[in-house]
Amino acid sequence: MSFVVAKNLTRNYDLSDPLIVRALTMRPKRILTAVDDVNFSIEKGTTYALVGESGSGKSTIAKMAVGLLKPSVGTLIVDGKNLNDPALAREDQLALRRRIQMVFQSPYASLNPRWRVGDIIAEPIKAFCLIDGIKAQSMRVSELLEQVGLAPSDATKYPHEFSGGQRQRISIARALSSQPEVIVCDEPTSALDVSVQAQVLNLLKALQKEYALTYLFITHDLAVVSTMANKIGVLNKGRLVEEQSPAGLFSRPQQDYTKMLLNAAPSINFD
Amino acid sequence: MSENLLEIKNIDVTFKTRHGILKAIDNLSLSVNKGEILGLVGESGAGKSMTGAAILGLIDPPGRLSSGQIWYKGQRIDQAPETIRGHEISMIFQDPLVSLNPLRRIGDQLVETILTHMPITKYEAIERARKGLEEVGIDPERINAYPHTFSGGMRQRVVIALALAPEPALIIADEPTTALDVSVQAQILDLLKRLCRERGTSIILVTHDMGVIAETTDRVGVLYAGRLAEIGDTRDILTNPKHPYTKGLVASTPRIDASSFDKTLYQISGSMPKLDAMPCGCAFHPRCEFVLDKCRSDIPSIIANRAACWLLDKEESLL
Repeated sequence: MSFVVAKNLTRNYDLSDPLIVRALTMRPKRILTAVDDVNFSIEKGTTYALVGESGSGKSTIAKMAVGLLKPSVGTLIVDGKNLNDPALAREDQLALRRRIQMVFQSPYASLNPRWRVGDIIAEPIKAFCLIDGIKAQSMRVSELLEQVGLAPSDATKYPHEFSGGQRQRISIARALSSQPEVIVCDEPTSALDVSVQAQVLNLLKALQKEYALTYLFITHDLAVVSTMANKIGVLNKGRLVEEQSPAGLFSRPQQDYTKMLLNAAPSINFD
Repeated sequence: MSENLLEIKNIDVTFKTRHGILKAIDNLSLSVNKGEILGLVGESGAGKSMTGAAILGLIDPPGRLSSGQIWYKGQRIDQAPETIRGHEISMIFQDPLVSLNPLRRIGDQLVETILTHMPITKYEAIERARKGLEEVGIDPERINAYPHTFSGGMRQRVVIALALAPEPALIIADEPTTALDVSVQAQILDLLKRLCRERGTSIILVTHDMGVIAETTDRVGVLYAGRLAEIGDTRDILTNPKHPYTKGLVASTPRIDASSFDKTLYQISGSMPKLDAMPCGCAFHPRCEFVLDKCRSDIPSIIANRAACWLLDKEESLL
């Protein structure tokens, strides 16, 4: 069985008017299906990319994968354990959560501006009680900062002292601090300039090789995942319409929607 | 090539701060020909948007245009940009969500713009507004709709219709598609290209996306730390970049290519210098792979009408 499996993943949002309004106007409930019966599986140590336009349900899937949202129907299974199993004991649930971390889209909004970088990175370590002793914790923080290409002395600074790319490195260090096996990256480079984007993508790839990390990579930009993804899933209006390796997807797209996405992406190649 | 529509000569934009006087734009010169799309590309903080703002006189204090000249159709405009702003030169802003007034119907906003710049009656202005909407692909019947009833792409079309309403000769488009999906982006860029062709309007397209540059522009200027690093025909620059920074930008752009899997992307190490800590000489030299001794001391100017890089000077002297 694959390391991460999404089975019939569905998420509905209730957009109905209040009950009294519905009773007076005789209108039915309005349900929006943001994610509709999505199935995919990711092998350990590989990258699965979900590509789609705004409103396609990419971020909803990301949130369900880390447990920030509950699926309406369906399950997410990580290493054989059901993430949403109500029967799971609290300790087991915590242990499972520790193994899945997230890097958010905007490095400007996802770091607490009033916390020092060291505290931001140490929070998962403290929350999961991974390392005892303040000294050992700060040693670990220095180690993490070095891993993502920052200096150990940066731990005492605040997020505003860093550029966008450096902040995204801090987010990555925070995600790594609980020694996860799965990292969900929700558009990690869309707020960055191309040259910085290349640095962050290369860092993510190097970390994947070192720790056999499994990535669920959410993006709207097919070019970004061309160097990373082992498999690409194309989402349209909450449905997974196509799933292929990048080589297959770029040379032989099956669905009209995928072809449209490929054609619309601005290309730097002249031919 | 046809005549220059706009010419910027050695402009400086400076900000007086408590860290001293910072130069956001340093000795920038460029020109825009009639009917062409000029791209301006660079990282955040390179001075792309500031250049657009300087042309229209929209730089907010404490920033100011401290030296240099801007000529439009043979007329100097840097002292009194109000005479041409809006009428001859208009601007499309990045975010269509904030550049429309949410409390007023789009028709009213269009008519107001047209009446400000054209001596015509209100009835004629309404007719023009309807025609303008039709031109950007919006049903003229929606003239009385409010901005929130439009999607992001449609709103950006309204903004373009607003910019086009006074029939400007030059449009400054500041990241017009950054907030939009790729499919909508393609439509908007096609629309801009078509308008440029049909009306002979010139466009300055500010963007950080090399793909957009490749698909839309005729010429491109690459900005780095407020200085022009390289300028020339888009195809030349993207296929045969001369400045090491441009080379890095082109190489670090990911491509939709089946063979690129598992390859490491080229990366320019380090980051752009802050304005209060600009290095001596060429601003790019601390990150440059080909750095010469001269780069550390002397600021290069544009050499051979192409790139501001001492390497080119060396090449020239060898020829």
